[in-house]
Amino acid sequence: MKRNTMSYKVQQFLMFAGVAAVLFCAVVVVPFVYGIYLTLTSWDGIAKTKPFVGLANYAEAFKDVAYWQALGRTAIYSIFAVVLINVVAFALAYLVTSGIKGQNFFRAGFFVPNLIGGIVLGYVWKFVFNRAFVAIASKIANQQVPSLLSTTSGAMFCLVLVSVWQFAGYMMLIYVAGFMSVSDALKEAAMIDGCTPSQAMWNVTIPLMRASFVQCIFLSITRCFVIYDVNLSLTKGEPFNTSVMAAMHVYNTAFTYKKYGLGQAEALILFVVCAVVGITQVYIGKKGEVAA
Amino acid sequence: MKKHFKRAAAALIAGILAAGLLAGCGGGGGAASSSSDGGSGGGTAITIFNSKMEIQSQLEEKAAEYSDEKGVDVEVYYSSDTVAAHLATRYSSNEPYTISMVDAKDVYALAEEHALDLSDQEWVGNTTQAISIGDKVYGFPVCVEARGIIYNADAIKNATGEDFDPESIKTTDDFKAIIDKCKAGGMESPVGVMKEDWSLAAHFFAEIYEQQADPDAFIAGIKDGSIKLADDKKFNEMMDTFDVLRDNNYAKDAAISAEREVTEQKLAEGEIAFMFGGNWDWSVINAYDYSENMGMMPVPNNSGDGSDSKLVGGGSKYFFIDSSENTSAEQQQAAKDFLNWLANDPEGQEFIVNECALVPAFTNNTLEVSDPLGKSVKKYADAGALIDNYNYLPDDHYSIVGASMQKYLAGEIDRAGLADEVTTYWATAEVGAH
Repeated sequence: MKRNTMSYKVQQFLMFAGVAAVLFCAVVVVPFVYGIYLTLTSWDGIAKTKPFVGLANYAEAFKDVAYWQALGRTAIYSIFAVVLINVVAFALAYLVTSGIKGQNFFRAGFFVPNLIGGIVLGYVWKFVFNRAFVAIASKIANQQVPSLLSTTSGAMFCLVLVSVWQFAGYMMLIYVAGFMSVSDALKEAAMIDGCTPSQAMWNVTIPLMRASFVQCIFLSITRCFVIYDVNLSLTKGEPFNTSVMAAMHVYNTAFTYKKYGLGQAEALILFVVCAVVGITQVYIGKKGEVAA
Repeated sequence: MKKHFKRAAAALIAGILAAGLLAGCGGGGGAASSSSDGGSGGGTAITIFNSKMEIQSQLEEKAAEYSDEKGVDVEVYYSSDTVAAHLATRYSSNEPYTISMVDAKDVYALAEEHALDLSDQEWVGNTTQAISIGDKVYGFPVCVEARGIIYNADAIKNATGEDFDPESIKTTDDFKAIIDKCKAGGMESPVGVMKEDWSLAAHFFAEIYEQQADPDAFIAGIKDGSIKLADDKKFNEMMDTFDVLRDNNYAKDAAISAEREVTEQKLAEGEIAFMFGGNWDWSVINAYDYSENMGMMPVPNNSGDGSDSKLVGGGSKYFFIDSSENTSAEQQQAAKDFLNWLANDPEGQEFIVNECALVPAFTNNTLEVSDPLGKSVKKYADAGALIDNYNYLPDDHYSIVGASMQKYLAGEIDRAGLADEVTTYWATAEVGAH
């Protein structure tokens, strides 16, 4: 059988990737394209007709102050969360590869929060912030102390804290793999050449782990930008709608306020922002990657 | 030969995996359903969407009974999603429910395209709460609900030593006086305030529109600037009363983290005596060790325009029947029969009042309402002392004005600031069509 004919290639592709490709089209490509079409309509989500309005939804999205506030808030939240997630994850990874007693137990333990769904996790932490912390703080201060979740910056702080708690364990695993991939011989050679352990870490180990950093930062950025579940169950946008993240605003606009086209347009803008940030970061990160 | 075998094996495995995937997709249903495949022997099958969580189990049971008796297979579904969002998914997959329970505003949004005209139904003459658009009746009122101040008379008596007469509280000053009396009697802070945006904006703040002689004109006035909200009489009177509530809130120092369940528990058990709410709150209160003598009274205010002796409310939750080609004529007839049964059959009436503990919206349903808050509502409704709901507020009103009210509740903005924010909101918001 000839292997370089078109029909052979098509046949091979269909055999191995055909089903997956069809499914991918059905659940990703088609809805995405259809979604773009919906941004050009003023559909309310349920009416039979979808009046075509051109780019009006985009114009309105650019004028939607609450949306840009939510997006700005998401960016600020993401900066804090991404930095902290990666710092904590790196530190944990260092800890559990340094040969301390019971490190496998710790690895499993730090990873567990990632296995709990965001909704459940949000409710659990809500209880902790609203009841447990308040009770303890009130005992100490000897007066009724308001919950962290009831202040604007407090609610943001809680969101960052819970996200770090949730994601750090997952990122830790990637960093652990990174640490393991750096050969001991290189570190040893660096030490023989006169490096202090911290110099060896900074000049040998970290540059060789660059791929892990790129991956972890990409994953944490994209996850933080589209945070919804923890946002919903932990703060629900409260207090005063000052903890509404971009994804929640999109959901509310589309489904609760029944402006489906506008919500979809805002979702698309969020997607573009997220993609640009993610791709830029990966591009910059990859450029300086070194191999041992 | 070997190669062929490998290829066949790969194709087989791929096929099995794909089948598994597809089966996985097919298995996942949307809403939780309770099938009631009673002895319907191939008769008509209808579906009911319920959006009132507290009656789900009663409705499921009743549907099963009804299926057995009438030979119509009735299935009840519930979803905790936003009503409109949930129905949207059903409509886009061409699987609408035969009967859907929605809020009044949804009837206005959906009816003309999706609902069956029910003008010729027998029950229409027995209610004032049905929703009509033009000359067509689309919405079947499930029950009557109203808003006001919920009081715990036992708790007040404990504190003041006197029997509490809700009729005696008309003005904000009366209200303040009884609260001060309670305080003097040892009740530290006699009020609970729910911080939920729907309670603050859709229920309390909405009364400022609803108590106007012409809510439409009032909102139009705010929009075009001819009415200055900050100077409006009603606004200031209602906010005066709100100030009294706020200043005597048991959770005053942490108003924004007060939890609804805790507040209602305190009210039920008599730790506090007053809370703004509605008769639906009974479904929360009755979970606790509640006091015998509770009830609802109008929101006191200094207007003297009679609004101090009326609750605000009316029909709440509406059934409409799908009119699309996805629902057959037999199904539509079966659905009409079901609604008639609810409104007119003694068993259906008994179901609404006793099993679901709702206040009936039909005059021919004369059963005694069982819960204390429902009793109050029925009393005001029978006396014609209900101010109509304003069902045309935009969908984002409760959230945006709710946030402003929360700020006011927490002391972050003053009354002028609140009026400003609400006016700004109305600059771009549009009331629903009606």
